Amino acid sequence: MIKASLDESPLRANFFVVWSEVVKNLKFLMAYPVIFVFWTIFPFFWFLTFIFQGQAIVGGLQSASFAEIAGTPEYIPFIILGAILNGYVLTSLYGVGESIRREAYQGTLDYLLSSPCNKAFILIGKAVSESISSTVYAVIQLIVCIVFFGIELTLGVIMPIILILILMILGLYGIALMLAALSLQFKQAHDLAHTLEYVFYLFSPVRYPVQALPFWAQIIGRFLPLTYALIAVRSLVLLKQNFPAIYEQIFLLFVIDVLAIFLGFYLFNWMEKRTKKSGSISQF
Amino acid sequence: METHVFLRQIEDQLLVYNRDNDVYSIQTINLTKVFKKRKHKGIFGFLKKKAEKETSESSKDVTVALDHVNSEIRSGELFGLLGPNGAGKTTLVKCLSTILIPDEGTAIVNGFDIRKQTSLVRASLGLVVGGERTLYWKLTARDNLMYFASLYKMPRREAKDRVDELLALMNLSDRADERLEDYSTGMRQKIAVARALLHDPPILLLDEPTLGLDPTFSRQIRNQIRELCKKEGRTILLATHYMKEADELCDRVAIINDGKIAAIDTPERLKAMVKENELIEVTCHNPPHDTENYLRPLCPDVEIITLIRGDEAKGMPSRIKLIGGNAEKHVGTVVDALRKKNAQITSVNISMPTLEDAFIKITGAKLAEGGAT
Repeated sequence: MIKASLDESPLRANFFVVWSEVVKNLKFLMAYPVIFVFWTIFPFFWFLTFIFQGQAIVGGLQSASFAEIAGTPEYIPFIILGAILNGYVLTSLYGVGESIRREAYQGTLDYLLSSPCNKAFILIGKAVSESISSTVYAVIQLIVCIVFFGIELTLGVIMPIILILILMILGLYGIALMLAALSLQFKQAHDLAHTLEYVFYLFSPVRYPVQALPFWAQIIGRFLPLTYALIAVRSLVLLKQNFPAIYEQIFLLFVIDVLAIFLGFYLFNWMEKRTKKSGSISQF
Repeated sequence: METHVFLRQIEDQLLVYNRDNDVYSIQTINLTKVFKKRKHKGIFGFLKKKAEKETSESSKDVTVALDHVNSEIRSGELFGLLGPNGAGKTTLVKCLSTILIPDEGTAIVNGFDIRKQTSLVRASLGLVVGGERTLYWKLTARDNLMYFASLYKMPRREAKDRVDELLALMNLSDRADERLEDYSTGMRQKIAVARALLHDPPILLLDEPTLGLDPTFSRQIRNQIRELCKKEGRTILLATHYMKEADELCDRVAIINDGKIAAIDTPERLKAMVKENELIEVTCHNPPHDTENYLRPLCPDVEIITLIRGDEAKGMPSRIKLIGGNAEKHVGTVVDALRKKNAQITSVNISMPTLEDAFIKITGAKLAEGGAT
């Protein structure tokens, strides 16, 4: 009686879950077109403020003192790359973290939890859809930067950058999963995401080189995937270093990914059980 | 567990069930769920001294939503769960569907334990809980159903065919590609029912499926529920606070109040418990002077026979009331007897006991919109 082909491969079925989640989220996005206006303008506003501030302080487009610690005098491309990669942090934290709360608010969370599929694939679908939208924004930003700010991207650099991005995004998914887990318990992901967003701003070298941070802050920054991704991408794009120069960052990103994803899923499953026991799972 | 493995297990279980008519689709065994009531301690509650905190902790109350519930629902049965708001109906449905984890006891759904075999339980169930709000209003009906089909690991092509089939069943094929925000409440509820049927589950858990619907849509949904059980052989647990719905649809009804099952039986037997509420009212002119004594030997088991004499001079008819003790079966006898005495009967009203009467008698509470009173 139960409809499902017995020869359906689990891999295909799970891919269908991820695919359906991505399609659903992108359709939601299309249902509110005004968000495109916001996300198209917002990233430029974000880094333009720092460019104007930098020009006011340094008095030009290059800074010798900046070059001493960053290795490059051009702080504008430095900040732009920071803004682009940071965009993934924002969408991961706010998107995935908030999505569970949104499902509870819509009343659909019960149906996700009472379905027989592995919830991990639903969460992966949510994360992938957020990354797709982030990538669209990042590409728009990058095109503008290449045209107006003279950033050069060669084909030899693009592939390592994609690898770094994928590794960074996986780490961010793990952190976003932890946030989603906490939102099951605390019913409020936005404020947690906001706090984490500033943790990234402060301890990762988004707006300044990591050397500008005091030692204790640099230690905290080493636990954030964005730190390694920014160091690696800037090494390739601004310092014109070769791929072997960033092996260390790639390895550390991989370690952070494994830990973050494992912890993320563990925390989510634990919180799901806990809130199902307390009865607060459907509350929002 | 892999899809094909657990689906095969489900089908094996169904074969066993088909062989044995006495097994149950759902069994609850001492199922208990307790919720802690959280009292608001005020904005500066965190500043309270330890002693004060301990006092407030001890005053923290608990709600026993389900109190050692034991019940058995047969395969192919339409089983009603009747109770006021807050009685524990939704909690029971949520425990059975694994949305909540019970504090004590367990339940066996389609042969699978809700605590240990959650994926198998979930694949065996179709769920309608929470009404129209539980769908994505920004998506079309087709998109909604396709999405939920994916969560049940249905192959994409089969899901497409099934969605078309269900949209046709719900008479919504022509509006399949409209967003749900443009649907009426009743239409959205039909999509919620369609969602529960996507994977063709043997068991349906329906929690207030007609809540907030107009009479037309309510009737349509009720007809569908009846067909899903009687024609398609599904086991249905229908949680409702509408007595007429339970009476009209259910093979058996469990009366639940304050988290406890107070009685389980067929609607007829439950109503038979309040036979004293049966009432015949005969309105007539010129009834016999000794009506009570005249009718008493004819219907000895009726508890009360009374005459309220009307003012014949003003054309006001008299009223004869027979209350309780299978009064209804004496209608013919009473009417014939009164006619023999030349009484001119103008009307006969029969009032049968309702499930609400049974509920009041069994629980001592009244089934009201806002809960038992």
